Amino acid sequence: MSRAAPMALLVAALIALAIAAVGLGSTPIPPERVIAALLGWGERTDQIVVWNLRLPRVALAACAGAALALSGALLQRTTRNPLASPSILGITDGAALGVLVFLFAFSDEANLLQVPVVWQPLFAAGGAALFALAVTLLAGRDRGDPMRLILYGVTLAALAHAAVVLMMIVGPVYRSGQALVWLAGAVHQAEWRDAAIVAAALMAALPLLVRLAGPLDQLRLDGASAFATGLPVEAVRATALVLSVALAAAAVSVAGGIGFVGLVAPHAARLLFGSAAARELPAAALLGAGMVLGADLLVRAAFQPIEVPAGAVTALIGAPYFLFLLTRMGRLNA
Amino acid sequence: MTRPALLLLALLPLLALASLQLGLTIYGPGEVWAALRGAEGQDALIIRTLRLPRTVLALLVGAALGLCGLLMQSATRNPIAEPGLLGVNAGAALAVVLGVSLLGLDGIAAMTLMAAAGAVAATVLVFGLALAGGPNLPPAHLLLAGVTLSALLWSGTQVVILLDEAAMEELLFWLSGAFADRPLAALPWALPPMAAIAVLALLATRRLDVLRTDDGTAEALGVPVRASRLAALVAAALLAGCAVALAGPIAFLGLVAPHLAQLAGARDHRALVPLTMLCGAVLALVADIAARHLIAPSEAPISAVTALAGAPVLLALLRRRRLGTA
Repeated sequence: MSRAAPMALLVAALIALAIAAVGLGSTPIPPERVIAALLGWGERTDQIVVWNLRLPRVALAACAGAALALSGALLQRTTRNPLASPSILGITDGAALGVLVFLFAFSDEANLLQVPVVWQPLFAAGGAALFALAVTLLAGRDRGDPMRLILYGVTLAALAHAAVVLMMIVGPVYRSGQALVWLAGAVHQAEWRDAAIVAAALMAALPLLVRLAGPLDQLRLDGASAFATGLPVEAVRATALVLSVALAAAAVSVAGGIGFVGLVAPHAARLLFGSAAARELPAAALLGAGMVLGADLLVRAAFQPIEVPAGAVTALIGAPYFLFLLTRMGRLNA
Repeated sequence: MTRPALLLLALLPLLALASLQLGLTIYGPGEVWAALRGAEGQDALIIRTLRLPRTVLALLVGAALGLCGLLMQSATRNPIAEPGLLGVNAGAALAVVLGVSLLGLDGIAAMTLMAAAGAVAATVLVFGLALAGGPNLPPAHLLLAGVTLSALLWSGTQVVILLDEAAMEELLFWLSGAFADRPLAALPWALPPMAAIAVLALLATRRLDVLRTDDGTAEALGVPVRASRLAALVAAALLAGCAVALAGPIAFLGLVAPHLAQLAGARDHRALVPLTMLCGAVLALVADIAARHLIAPSEAPISAVTALAGAPVLLALLRRRRLGTA
């Protein structure tokens, strides 16, 4: 069966979701007017509302979801561990810590940043890389034990989270309530600049991902066989890991710690499109984008005008799925 | 008693005194003594109404959490069982938040009850989930199920809090976990069950020893394994619920205290139970004193302090032991 048709369907569903998300708000805009405004027609007020107010949030949700899903897919492949994802391995919390260190170090007494905010993703990447490195080093000795990797990740995530909590109190981060919402993963204060940061990371990753698709499939063999096919195993793994950390950091630095997307989206993608990287990675990106977009849509439709973080909903979906995976793995082991 | 155990015992009053002395203003032992004897004045008032309650609370909650961790670890033969990591604290927290904001519950007694009910429910849930993964409760599975359940329950708590802005301020403070500025009205409700469980644990030390061996041995020695294990877990859940009602959710203390007690030379539960409670109290005092100074003049949430100190311990445990993973 051709896989192109379902992929096209996925894209269409994502576009429909985006149009619905743009239409929803304090004054709902019907879909035909949304489409008109997006194409540059329609009323001037519609265009302003859509382009300046609603679209940044939708774009950020989609880009952040795609970046987190790709990050998770890459992690699961490099670690050969179906439970791996940026939030579980402590990469998300590491990135959050990087952001808070940045805000702490470069704000003056009036809580104003002294340096351009574009440096923020770099600090997020630094924090994420630090924790990714720590997990890799700790797990290095027990390579091949998938549980241990996850346990190290969970523990380091707890450590990073404690540091984040302390930084939130001492640091000049808005008010603690807002920081809490950001930490849980929210896109409601999105501006075009935020979406652009994640989109730029995705664009930069794209050529590398295209080149990695083949090697990533070879990597699914065991180490020795992969090496025998002429694959520079360590180089591919390192590249994929760096890419995964960078993507997660870009998403977290502007959208906060949206959990479980990086875990669930790759699984759904493999279920629907098989495990060839050339199909899995784009499908995971689309599904991740849809997941965050859908979660944000859901919290807005259900709780408006209160802003509930989209990350709370992805956790409510993702955590039970993780528990299901865990019990299934346990039964297979037994 | 071993020498480290005696050292810990001697450390306790010293730390309690330090806890009364240290803080934003540092008092001498003389001032503390005068205040305890009922002296007048602002300093005495601070010592009596602020420092003394948090010191007592740290002692009690620390001991309770330590015992809770020990019961969980012994009942499941799992060195990394602990109420914070296993989602029991999160269950208690969600139950309280739900009770306050949905059912409109008010008052300390209702909150304590809700916390205990939530803790027991979460315990049942997490052990049920882990059991679904295999008959022998693999330690790694239990921990992962607990951490994930914890994330799930926290998300629920977060949604409820954001929806109910009126209750938010108070609940957020309570959820951050601290020994300072707690309403001591919960003590009459939480103290009796905590004391009763401590006494029961001291009486059941032999049974706990047997539980730590394998099932076959325990059965042969005439110990009803399932019933004993269930009783120990329910007792642990109730301890966690009481601790949450008193001081909010605090992680890692219950993990570290039993291991510290073992390091101090306790082998069987006759020594482990009292020594773990002692270690828990000592650790809680140290954490509380650190919380006052770590980011002074602000006060750090106790959970952040215990996580900073406890996470490396967990890493060490993970490195050292073959946990029967995979």
